[in-house]
Amino acid sequence: MSVLVTGSAIRGLPVVTIAGGEDVAEVRDVIYSPEAGRVVGLTLNKRGFLAGRRREVLSAETIRAIGRDAVMIDDESSLILAESSPADLGTPPSGRDVTGDEVLTEGGASLGQVRDIVVLVGSNGAVVGYEIDTATGGIGYIPVPSQLAVSGSALVVPDTTRQFIEDDLAGLGAAVDESRSKLGLP
Amino acid sequence: MSERFAAASGRTVISRTSAEELGKLAHIVIDVKRGQVASLVVGKGRKALLIAWEQVTGFGPDAVMIADETALQEPRDDREQAAADGKLDLLGKRALSDTGNDLGTVTDVVFDPDTGVIESIMLGDRGEPAASLLGAGSFAVIVREPAN
Repeated sequence: MSVLVTGSAIRGLPVVTIAGGEDVAEVRDVIYSPEAGRVVGLTLNKRGFLAGRRREVLSAETIRAIGRDAVMIDDESSLILAESSPADLGTPPSGRDVTGDEVLTEGGASLGQVRDIVVLVGSNGAVVGYEIDTATGGIGYIPVPSQLAVSGSALVVPDTTRQFIEDDLAGLGAAVDESRSKLGLP
Repeated sequence: MSERFAAASGRTVISRTSAEELGKLAHIVIDVKRGQVASLVVGKGRKALLIAWEQVTGFGPDAVMIADETALQEPRDDREQAAADGKLDLLGKRALSDTGNDLGTVTDVVFDPDTGVIESIMLGDRGEPAASLLGAGSFAVIVREPAN
C-alpha cells in the first residue's frame, strides 16, 4: 500500500548517503512546484544542534528516496550550490507557496484551504495530494487531479474531488492505490 | 561454523609468535563493497589499534590469533580513526532502508571466521542477507528495503 507523508513531516529529516551511511545534512524546507505537481528539491540545514543553513540544495533528480525517517542520496556530490541549481529550485518564485490557497471545484464550491502537500513515501518527490482545512471544519486529504489550474491564491479541482476527501493519510493512500490500479499503473 | 560479532566482542587477541595477550577485541570493521571483514580494533580509547583482516591467522572460539605485534597498526587517516573510536561499529547502529525507512537496530552480524565473509545482518530476530547491505557509516547502516 502507498505510504504517504505531509511536506511538514519531511522537514528535519536527516539526509543520508546510501554508500557512506553518513548524515550529511537535514531538510530545511521542501520546494514544491504546483505547476509540475511535484517536489522539485529540498533546501538544507547543517546537522546538529543550532547548526545553520547549508548553501547547498538537493534537486529531486538526485534524491533516491524520500522516506518516513530519512532522505536518501547516493553521496555528497548530490548536494549542489543553490546558485548553480535550476531556477525553480535555487530561486523559487515568490507567491508559489500553495499553503493557504483556496481549493475550488470547477462548479465554484470551496472545499477548504491547503494546509500542506502530501508526498508519496519512497519516491523522489511525487506529490499525490493535499492536506486541507475543510470548509466544514477539520482536516481532510484530497488527491491531486491529473490536471489542475493553479494561481497564487487558488487551485481548481474537478467537481468529483468532493467525493474523494479522505479523513486521514491512510485513506488517501488507499484511494491513490485504487485509482492507480484502475489506470493500470503499478 | 559461523561466528557472530556480538559473541566475538571482547575476545582475547594473542600473538602467535610470543603467545602474549595483545588486548581485547573491541570492534569489527567491515568493507561493504567486498562484503567482508576489513579489520579488527583491539583495545579502547587512545590505545586502540587496528589489525587488517589479512593479518589474522586464526579467528577461534576462544581467542583471535595474529602473527605478531607488528600486525597492530595505529590509525592512519580519519576513517581509520573513526574505526578505532568504534564509530563504524555496526552493532547497535540504526538501520535505514535505501528508501529512507527505519528498520530498527543492528543487533548482530554473522560472518565466516575462516574467510571474513559477511553472511547476514541481524535486525532483532530478522536476518537480512549480506547482499542487501548497501552502506555503513557512523550515522547508519543502509540495507535494501525488504520486500514484503
